[in-house]
Amino acid sequence: MDPTLSRNQQITLVVLRTLIGWHFLYEGFTKVLTPAWSRAGAPIGRFTSAGYLRGSSGPFSDVFRSLADSSLLPWLDLVVAWGLVLIGLGLMLGLFTQLACASALALLALFYLSALPLSGVRDAGVEGAYLLVNKNLIEAAAVAVVLVFRTDRIAGLDLLRAGDRARVAAVAEATR
Amino acid sequence: MSLTPEQQELGRRNFMRVLAGTPAVAALAGAAALKGPVRGGPVRVGFIGTGGQGRTLLEQTDPQFAEIVAICDINPLQLAKADASLAQTKHPPAKHYADWQEMIQKEKLEAVVLASPLFTHADIAVACLEAGLHVLSEKMMAYDVASCERIAEAARKNRRVYEVGHQRFYNGVYQAAYEGIVKAGLLGELYHARLVWHRNGNWRRHAELPSPDYDASRWGYPSYDHLINWRLYKKYSRGHMAELASHQVAVAEWFFDASATAASGSGGVYRFKDGREIPDHTYVTLDYPGGRTVVFTSIESNAFDNYYEAYYGTKGTLVLSGEIDAFFFEEPAAGEKAAPKATAIEVAAKGAGPVGSASESRARDAAGSGAGGGAASRGGDRNLSYRNEISGFCAAVRTGAPLKCGALRAQGAARSCISGFEAMDTQTRIVIKA
Repeated sequence: MDPTLSRNQQITLVVLRTLIGWHFLYEGFTKVLTPAWSRAGAPIGRFTSAGYLRGSSGPFSDVFRSLADSSLLPWLDLVVAWGLVLIGLGLMLGLFTQLACASALALLALFYLSALPLSGVRDAGVEGAYLLVNKNLIEAAAVAVVLVFRTDRIAGLDLLRAGDRARVAAVAEATR
Repeated sequence: MSLTPEQQELGRRNFMRVLAGTPAVAALAGAAALKGPVRGGPVRVGFIGTGGQGRTLLEQTDPQFAEIVAICDINPLQLAKADASLAQTKHPPAKHYADWQEMIQKEKLEAVVLASPLFTHADIAVACLEAGLHVLSEKMMAYDVASCERIAEAARKNRRVYEVGHQRFYNGVYQAAYEGIVKAGLLGELYHARLVWHRNGNWRRHAELPSPDYDASRWGYPSYDHLINWRLYKKYSRGHMAELASHQVAVAEWFFDASATAASGSGGVYRFKDGREIPDHTYVTLDYPGGRTVVFTSIESNAFDNYYEAYYGTKGTLVLSGEIDAFFFEEPAAGEKAAPKATAIEVAAKGAGPVGSASESRARDAAGSGAGGGAASRGGDRNLSYRNEISGFCAAVRTGAPLKCGALRAQGAARSCISGFEAMDTQTRIVIKA
């Protein structure tokens, strides 16, 4: 643990990690759950990233679009859905936190690159107008903060992992 | 174990730090259980009865909501027509059965759509509910009041979804009329409604035998005529009251928020004296609390009026015509002599497109057997009602979304219509017990 971090700073970082984890976990949960139904009674088809990939824009769009029709798509869907769930759980529980952060950064980078916000106006299906910076990029920056501030050493199940038990005691001792 | 206060405090802090994220995960799980999506694909459905009405429902089944796994009919000709309907509406082929019991035993169904003759509704619905299947039944709910109660009890006991296909409840015109006119009080005090379903033609159907050796007695019918014309015989049918009036009476009871207290009627076989037992002319009056009276007429000798429901209030008149049009007319103010004027309220947009197939619920049958048409032969919105009805039923199965015409409402309409039929049959006034 970084002794220069105040108690409030530590709490803020862990809350930030938890919120990002919640976002990832619920996004993943709703994908893994499909086919499903909304509470209002509308059917939700099995999750596929094909539509998202086909709508790709920006300089890398050809690569992403080609994935939509490739044999890799079912695997990609599986990786995205379960990846979101596992990353979300990792961030919320503070388990394999650094790995979860790195994976989250990788996924967010892919999401960002697949639809680079270059139009500068509100695009169809997007709730706001973005130019270069969008919510994916901001969330990636937030994940980077969680990563570099080593929140795994502040709170979470990582404190219990092998070799870390001593750290638990040390952390508790330091905050007495 | 004895721990010092310092050790206890240290232990607590360790515990809190390690499990810091657990409450958030639990909160997310709780929120998702309350508000998140419900797992499941389209509802696996079997159709029992693929006559005109069954096929209409089949054609209007949205594959996103229901997967038609199997279809069942004792008449192979109807199954062949259902196959064509499935192909036409781009549904995959469904397995065939002649015996519904075999179908529900062999197939992994979640629900059945029941569009068999009225007298079979109760036995089939109860057996399906007891087997753990949800049931969307065609109108009327059942042949007699005791059977309706039996179905309602089976649905309640087995906690299954049971709905009756009074499709007007899923019709935007009726929903708008209820919300915008009736509930809003624009009719004023309401004492009278007129329900009309007039046709000019013979209800008797003619159909070729499915095969020369086809034996209708295997299914309990003394002849093939009884099988295809079950609506004309009292053993199987409640005539116009079940096949036509029940739709309109169910809506009247929705608008009145009441059940009928008495029924009287007259009618008979006046035009088509061909051995049928069911009247071709029906005139029934239903009394409701608060001095409200509904008059239903159905004749098979003139189609000028076609079919409509009119609600006459002290402030205005609401006319719902052919399931696609709604009109509202204000009553003249006190002292004003002018005739009632239309307010030009367009309750719902009119649909377009042909009516899929003939049934008692459809304008195409205004001439009795599908030869008619006229002003109400447009369609579209009616088909949408069926589509919404099946989708709504599937949503209720999956998510517990509220039904628009569940057992209670359907039971009330059935009780009124059965009493109306018996009052007409016996030429007496029947007091209806709730």
